[in-house]
Amino acid sequence: MSEQKILGFIIRTDLAYDLAHHLWVDAARPHQVRVGMDPLGVETSGTLAQLVLHAPGVDYLRGQTVGSLEAEKYVGPVVTPLSGRVIAVNPHVAEHPGLVARDPYGEGWLFELASTDPSELAELLTGEEQVTMGFEERIRKYRLEGVLAE
Amino acid sequence: MATVMRVIDFGEVSPLRSQTLWHAIAYGVSAGSPPTLSFMRPSHPYVSIGFHRRLGELDLEWCRATGLPVFRRMVGGGPVYLDGGQHFFQISVPEAMTKGTRTQTIRSLLAPAVEAFRSVGIDAHLDEHSEISVGPAKICGHAAGQIGSAVVVVGNLITSFDHQAAARIIATPTPTFAEAYLRLMKEYVRATPADPEAFRAAAAESYANELGLVPEPGVMTEHELVRLDELDMQFQELEWLEGSPAPVPTSVKVRAGVSLSFTATEEI
Repeated sequence: MSEQKILGFIIRTDLAYDLAHHLWVDAARPHQVRVGMDPLGVETSGTLAQLVLHAPGVDYLRGQTVGSLEAEKYVGPVVTPLSGRVIAVNPHVAEHPGLVARDPYGEGWLFELASTDPSELAELLTGEEQVTMGFEERIRKYRLEGVLAE
Repeated sequence: MATVMRVIDFGEVSPLRSQTLWHAIAYGVSAGSPPTLSFMRPSHPYVSIGFHRRLGELDLEWCRATGLPVFRRMVGGGPVYLDGGQHFFQISVPEAMTKGTRTQTIRSLLAPAVEAFRSVGIDAHLDEHSEISVGPAKICGHAAGQIGSAVVVVGNLITSFDHQAAARIIATPTPTFAEAYLRLMKEYVRATPADPEAFRAAAAESYANELGLVPEPGVMTEHELVRLDELDMQFQELEWLEGSPAPVPTSVKVRAGVSLSFTATEEI
């Protein structure tokens, strides 16, 4: 496991990312890809009050909604960064949504899926250099827009 | 790029339609209708529960006995009592028009409502919990969500508020708890009698200014009307009403920042 502090955020650089949806993807085992929310997503979502993930056993296409979250009375979708069948959801995050913020890469993981289209992995951000650059760019953009405080 | 903000005033509508109309519009905005500011008020009292909340938070027997329908909405927040003293407004915009965190989105889409409250003589402000308040009391119930690719923020001008009824719909563990909840609600939720028509006109102006759009009266599209029929059915289905399982709450909220814990009768 390797991680870096990027402009104030601790980011694991050995994972793949769907930066648009603020998701990390551990695709070391394509038949059991683990997905969670990245620290930047945690920061910009606000305090999670509710998190509901659909039951496992359903096939989804990349970008489809696999659940929903609520922060500040705002309900938004949780989408999958890859196509595949959801094989497990983390039961603890529904009971304790705060886990996602406390330990986004560990106990706060969201769901696991069996990927059905390995070619989609190429569309995620991967590699230490690319991940670092991607996060730096996104954090700077958010700061310029006033989305993140210094 | 939108240049027009559609404005639709539905007036008084049934409880069911006071929910399904704006959901249908949000789906319409998601499908390409212009950003839309809509208004309505319910003809009869009813109860609305937030997307993630448990039906068990409500005293359903009481609701049934008093003839209060219960509808689950697709946006957040808790269970609320709604009646004709509450004049609803909803702003629906494409997600692409929003920027920043969820909090920033909500605050930016509530700010024009604050301006509208102020323009009808109410000394409203958006507090640190993103509640529209006068002093410590919340004066507008709001909620938000993403419906398709549209973001909708809903709120209300409360010209009269039945605290007793609003507190009674909530399942409470003991009569003492219920009394404490009612007392807090009277302290922290208040009506602001103002001219609803003047409020609607001010809101149309302030939302159009905020979004940089021209307000134009409009009607629902064919697509939205079809969606409306579907939503009417969906919202009356037991499965939809029961919703997704959510954790058992440990407290009941009066307003943001003011809750009553089930384990101790205290403000937290």
